[in-house]
Amino acid sequence: MRTGNVIAETVDLAIGYNARGKSTTVMDHLSLSAHRGELVALIGRNGTGKSTLLRTMVALQPPLHGSVRLQGQEINTLKSSGLPKIVSFTSTEPIALRNIKVREVVALGRFPYTNWIGSLTAGDERSVSDALGVTGLLALADRNIDNISDGERQRTLIARSLAQDTDLLVMDEPTAFLDLPSRYSIVAILRKLTREKDKCVIYSTHDLDTAVNEADRIWLMTETGISEGAPEDLMLSGMLAKAFESPLLSFSQAGGTFSFVREKLAPIALEGTGIVRKLTERALRRCGYRIEQDAALKVTVNVTAGNTEWILLNGLHKEHYTSLYNLISHLLAEGLD
Amino acid sequence: MLRLIMTGLFFLMILLFFADLLLGSTHLAAGDVIKSLFGQGTPHGEIIVMQFRLPKALTAIIAGAAMSVSGLLMQTLFRNPLAGPDVLGVSSGAGLGVALTVLTITPLFSFAPGSQLQDWSLILAAWAGAGAVMMIIMAVSARMRDIMTVLIVGLLLASAISAVVSLLQYFSNEAELKTYVIWTMGNLGNMSYSQIRTLALATLAGMVLAFAMIKPLNAMLMGETFSRTVGVNMKMTRIILLAAASILAGSVTAFCGPLAFIGVAVPHIARIIFGTTDHRTLMPGVALSGAVILLISDMISTLPGGGQIIPVNTVTSLIGIPVVLWIIIGRTGLGRKF
Repeated sequence: MRTGNVIAETVDLAIGYNARGKSTTVMDHLSLSAHRGELVALIGRNGTGKSTLLRTMVALQPPLHGSVRLQGQEINTLKSSGLPKIVSFTSTEPIALRNIKVREVVALGRFPYTNWIGSLTAGDERSVSDALGVTGLLALADRNIDNISDGERQRTLIARSLAQDTDLLVMDEPTAFLDLPSRYSIVAILRKLTREKDKCVIYSTHDLDTAVNEADRIWLMTETGISEGAPEDLMLSGMLAKAFESPLLSFSQAGGTFSFVREKLAPIALEGTGIVRKLTERALRRCGYRIEQDAALKVTVNVTAGNTEWILLNGLHKEHYTSLYNLISHLLAEGLD
Repeated sequence: MLRLIMTGLFFLMILLFFADLLLGSTHLAAGDVIKSLFGQGTPHGEIIVMQFRLPKALTAIIAGAAMSVSGLLMQTLFRNPLAGPDVLGVSSGAGLGVALTVLTITPLFSFAPGSQLQDWSLILAAWAGAGAVMMIIMAVSARMRDIMTVLIVGLLLASAISAVVSLLQYFSNEAELKTYVIWTMGNLGNMSYSQIRTLALATLAGMVLAFAMIKPLNAMLMGETFSRTVGVNMKMTRIILLAAASILAGSVTAFCGPLAFIGVAVPHIARIIFGTTDHRTLMPGVALSGAVILLISDMISTLPGGGQIIPVNTVTSLIGIPVVLWIIIGRTGLGRKF
């Protein structure tokens, strides 16, 4: 594991809200750190305070206690002109504009460096083009922001953040509302930033799959506090399972995935090989069966000359099916177990 | 391309300015108008050009630019495509300031009617009235994210203010009442050169503030969170924008009455012309478009050659209302996009 220098850390931090002289603590005693070149995923259930933590880390709201240090400096001693050169923030705030081009949005990331009217120098233009290139948006640079897909719009916001040229990028749910390929492409870009540009990216997400598979470090927020470590550390310690498990969900410690808990588990025998067997097993499990080789009910997978058929043996009764759907419909309709 | 449109718009403004001098309810030969500008015309022509048409055309340029830029600032500040000085009751607030001044303080100036002191007290009262309404709208906008709610609050404010003004009218004499009613119709004429200079100075101050805020305004298009994280001091920016919008709309309203729909409509027209939301282009673009549109409105209102004048507000409403309708039911729907 790489041991780059610490870029962000919290020291005995308490986060929450101050309203009308009354403070509400969301979470306290947080001591976390993130390093250069690291992809940090902040995960946790709704309402645990992920956004509050991220907003506190970029000085959008003050800590209730303790401190945030960015590049070794206390965040509240940093000037409002200095902070934007250290950390950038991408929120879930939607863009309420039609007449603005992708390139113009990204160029706004140069805000901390430009003159009073915001003119771009040759250096600024280069940063903007770099950011567009890394996020794969060069071909879309002159399109209007409302003429691109949700995933491309999210990439535009990441490019804007990147154009700000900070060592630390903080992002609140960059993969929210996106389809699966877009989610993976976003996380792939974030990972690329940490590997190729040596940035530190801290992002919050509900997408456990990509977080567990791609992040170097996980900050897992539960009602009692934050656990941090490599994804596998949290699997080993059982923290991941504990945080998300419910009567409906069970966690596979080795695979790092969640699946539904099935109530009725009827035994069924299965014979076959390869991918067909794997998928058949999956379909049977989904319908509430557990594979047991000496069960009375038996499914045999038969692959001959490119044709697949499933044979269901129930005592002496034998039936053939040409698709898993047909097999399962029959099993469910007859209530066989 | 943008530069070309901007230059074109500038020359269109100059052209319309001269057209506005040439056209009027009384027929004057073009030669007479031009000679009059240099003090060589007929006595009749010189009076009409120098005392009526020239002040009116100058006022149209200043007022059109000021009201439109004020609308642009409000639209970005409140993140509301339907914001404008008249729509949100800011003009009414300025009007209340004017009404109060006319009825309470003006008698104090009776020793020097039409003095600079009187003009400035009028303008200050209008700024205060406009600023007060602006602050209420700002407080409401911060709590209600729905643009319709904000518009309804603006409407209610305008109604409440007009109720107060009605009360003032009840206690005023016939002459004051007539002056006030004519004022509400919007009037670009009747301005002395000293008043034009005062209006120009106030507008210049407002414009300097507005142009100084171009960069933060562009960041604000991306939302408050983004603006704060790139280092915009939101509190300071809001105060300056509020002051600039109040100064621009308040000054014009004090002298010309509540010019209808210019502030809300022109920024949209400029966005269509220039196809951008970048304030570096929009700020001068909106100012020029506003001047052009008010010059056109003024020309139409004098019904060239007809010997009659209709209120300029009638014309600006007829131009502005379709734009507002287009925003409400058009392709933006009721979204917060602009």
